[in-house]
Amino acid sequence: MDFAPVLHGFSVVVEPTNLLYCLIGVVIGMLVGVLPGLGPAATIAILLPITFGIEPVTAIIMLAGIFYGAQYGGTITSVLLRLPGEASSVVTVFDGFALARQGKAGTALGIAAIGSFIGGTVSIVALTLVAPFVAGFALDFGPPEYTALALLGILLVATVGGGSRTKAVVAACIGLLLATVGRDTFTGAERFTFHNLNLGDGLDFVPIAMGLFGLGEILYNLEERHNAVKAPSTVANVWPSRADLRQSSGAIGRGSVLGFLLGILPGGGATIASLVAYAVEKRRAKNPERFGKGAVEGVAAPETANNAAATSSFIPLLTLGIPANATMAVIYGALLIQGVSVGPRLVTDEPDLFWGVVNSMYIGNILLLIMSIPLVGLFVKILRVRPAILAPITVLITLIGVYTVNNSVFDIGLVIVFGAVGYLMKKLGFEPGPLVLAFVLGSLLEDSLRRSLLIFDGDPTGFLSRPISGTLLLIFLLVILLPIITPTLARRRAPRRETTPSATKELV
Amino acid sequence: MTTNHRARRWAATGAGLALALSLAACGGNVGGGSGGGDGSEYPNGPIKILVGADPGGSTDLIARAAADGASDELGVAVTVENKPGANGALSLQELANEDPDGQTLAIFNGSLAYITPFAVSEDEAVSIEDYEVVTGLSLDDYVLVTAPKSGFKTVKDLAAAGRPINFGTTGVGTGSQLSQELLFAQAGIKATSVPFDGGSPTLTAVLGGQVDVGSIQLGEAIEQIEAGELTPIVTFAEKRPSYLADTPTAVEAGYDVPVQQARAIVAPKGTPDDVISTLEDAFTKTFETDAYKKFNEDNQLTPWEVSGDEVTETYTGNLEKYRAVIDEHGIKLGEGA
Repeated sequence: MDFAPVLHGFSVVVEPTNLLYCLIGVVIGMLVGVLPGLGPAATIAILLPITFGIEPVTAIIMLAGIFYGAQYGGTITSVLLRLPGEASSVVTVFDGFALARQGKAGTALGIAAIGSFIGGTVSIVALTLVAPFVAGFALDFGPPEYTALALLGILLVATVGGGSRTKAVVAACIGLLLATVGRDTFTGAERFTFHNLNLGDGLDFVPIAMGLFGLGEILYNLEERHNAVKAPSTVANVWPSRADLRQSSGAIGRGSVLGFLLGILPGGGATIASLVAYAVEKRRAKNPERFGKGAVEGVAAPETANNAAATSSFIPLLTLGIPANATMAVIYGALLIQGVSVGPRLVTDEPDLFWGVVNSMYIGNILLLIMSIPLVGLFVKILRVRPAILAPITVLITLIGVYTVNNSVFDIGLVIVFGAVGYLMKKLGFEPGPLVLAFVLGSLLEDSLRRSLLIFDGDPTGFLSRPISGTLLLIFLLVILLPIITPTLARRRAPRRETTPSATKELV
Repeated sequence: MTTNHRARRWAATGAGLALALSLAACGGNVGGGSGGGDGSEYPNGPIKILVGADPGGSTDLIARAAADGASDELGVAVTVENKPGANGALSLQELANEDPDGQTLAIFNGSLAYITPFAVSEDEAVSIEDYEVVTGLSLDDYVLVTAPKSGFKTVKDLAAAGRPINFGTTGVGTGSQLSQELLFAQAGIKATSVPFDGGSPTLTAVLGGQVDVGSIQLGEAIEQIEAGELTPIVTFAEKRPSYLADTPTAVEAGYDVPVQQARAIVAPKGTPDDVISTLEDAFTKTFETDAYKKFNEDNQLTPWEVSGDEVTETYTGNLEKYRAVIDEHGIKLGEGA
C-alpha cells in the first residue's frame, strides 16, 4: 500500500485552519455529548449550512469531531449523574454510576477516557489499512452491487437498531416512500410533484435531516421537564490504578475489535457496539454478578466500543458512498453540499479530503483525552443552561441555515413540516433514524435496481452471477433467516439470556 | 469566485463559528454596490446572475468567471446566486418574475431549450423566446468514451460487437442521452440507455466496465482520457475541439449528430434595448481579457460569444432539427413529454 497520501493527509491536518476546526468540532461534540437529548446527528444537521463556506476537508473534519467527541462527552453525565448524555452511553450508566457512588468516579471517567482513546485509535489504524483495500474494489461496484448493498442496509437499519422493530420498519417504509418524490430518473415522468418545480428534483435530504433531527428534537426536548440537576459526585483521582487498568485491558481490547466491526455494518454504529461490548464482557466474566455494582470492565468495554464504532462507520461512507447510520447520513449531506461526489472514487480522487479527515481523528482523540480528564467539571456545568434559552437560538440557526444551502424559502417550509413530523414521531416512539437512512438508501436502491435490470436486459438472475452482489444477497438472506433460526438454537442450548437495556434512545 | 470564497473562509477562521454562521447566512450575496446611480442610469446598484445549478459545476464556474469580468467593466458588484432545481428551469422561472431592469440576469443552458423538452413535461420545458438574450458564452463538448479493456475504438467496432450495447448517460433529457441515442439510431446499433445521476457516476460506471460506453462532457473526462484510463471514440462537436484534436467527430465518422451544450446570459422579457447593449458591451470586453480566455482553456470550453439573436436562432433551430431526427428514428428520451 502506498503511504504517501496517508502522510500527505497529516500535512493537511496540521494546517492551522483544520486544527482549529478539529478543536471546535470536538468541543461541540463534548458539549452535545454532555447535554441529554441533543445527539450528534441533530447537532450536525443543524450545523450543516455553516460548512457551506468552508473547504470540504475542514468541514468534514469538524463534523466528524462532533460525532466522536459526543461519544466521550456522553460518558461524563452517565457516570456522574446517572444521566446518559448519548444513547451510546446508556449501558455505561450501570457500572459507571455504581463506581461513582463508591467514590471511584475518577476511576470510571479515567478508564472510559483511556478506553475511548484506545478504541478510537485502533479503529483509525484499521480504517487506514482497510479503506484503500475496499476502495480498490470500488470500480467493481456497479449498479447490481449497490442494489444488494442498499437492500442489506435498509434491512439492517430496520432490524438491528434499538427500540421497537415494527416501528423502525414503519419509519423505514415512510423513508422509502418519500424517496420516490420527484422526476423519475429514468423516464423523466413526474411523481408526486403536484406540478411544483420545487419538487421536480425530489425532496432534498438536508431539510429533511434538519427538520427530523434538529427541529424535531428541539421541540421534543422542550416538552421534557428536566429535573433540577443534582450536584455531581466529586471527581477525585482520575488516573485509574494499575489493578483497574489490568482488569479492564481485556475489555478494552475486545471492545476495540467489536466496535470496529459493528461500526462498519450498515445500521450499526456506536449504540449497538456499546450494547454488544457490554453484553460480551458480562458473559465472559467469571462472576457476572459484579456487573451493575461497579465493575470497571462494565465502563471500559462500552466506552471503547462506541468510539471504535464511531470511527469505523466512516468506512462505508467514504469508500462506497453508503452511510452506515443516521449521523453518517447527515455527513453524507454535508459532502453533497460541498459538491464532493460521494462514491467509490473518493479515496483516489480526493486523497486530501479522505486522509485529512481520517488523520484528523488522531488529533481529535488526543484533544478529547486531554479535555475529558481535567475539564470534566466545566462540561458538567453546561447542564445548567436552560432549554428555554438554548431552544430558540437553535431554532433560529436551523431556519436561517437551511435557507442558505439552496437560497430557497421552500426549504424553510420543508424543515418546519419535517420538524413537526420528527416531533410527533418521537412522541409516538418512532425513531427518525431509520426514516432518514431509508430515504437516502431508497433512491439508491431504486436507481441501482432499475439500472441493473437495464444492464441485465431484464434478467434478475444477473444479480446472483456476479460475485460481490451474489455474496451480499446471501448475507441479506442470512440476516432475514437469523431471527428465525436463533431462537430455535437458543432453546436447544437453554442459555441465560442477556437483557439488553431497552433504553436506547437513538440509533446513532 | 475564488476571492469570494477565500474571503469567507478566512473570516470564518478568524472569528470562529459565530461569524461563520452569520456569513453563511448571507449566502452568496457578498459585496454591496460600489457604483450605484441616481435611478435613471444603468446599472443601478449590484447585478445578480441566477444559476440553476449547484456551486462548483461548470455552469456555476462560467457564470462566476463572466461575473468577475463584467463587474470590472460596469463598476458595480455582479454576484452569482445558485438556485438549483429542475435542470435550471427553476431559476429561469424566477428570472421571469423579476423586474425587466437588467439588475437580475440568469444563465440559460442550451440543453434546457432544445433537449429537455423531449423528456419532461411542459411545466419544466422553457423557451428561449420568453427571455431577452444578452450574449452567448461558450460551448461544452460531449465525448463518447469507453474503458480500454472493452477493446472498442470506433463506432464501427460497436456496430460489429454482435450484441446490444449498454450506454451510460448523465441523466434523462441531457445532451449525453440525446447524443448517444441519435448516434446509435443512425448507426443501426441496438443499444440500451442506462441513466446515471450526473457526470461523475457515469464516468465511474464506464471506468468500471459497468456500461460499455458513455457520453460525458469533455471537461469531466479529459483527465482520464489523457491518463489512458478512457478511450475517446468520437466527440459530438460540429468540428474537432482543440482540446481533443486527435479524436474524430461523429460527423466525420459519418453520422449527423452534433450535440453540444451551449450557454447564454439572458434577462427578463421586456428589458430595454439600451440596457441589453450596455450589458453586451461589458461581457464582450470580459471575453477579451486574458483571465477569461484562460478560464475557457482550463475548462475545455469553446468560446461561443455570439449575439443574442444568434443564440435564439441556434436554440430554436436545434429544437426543430432534433425534433425531426427524433421523429424519424422513433427515439423516445423520456415519458414526461
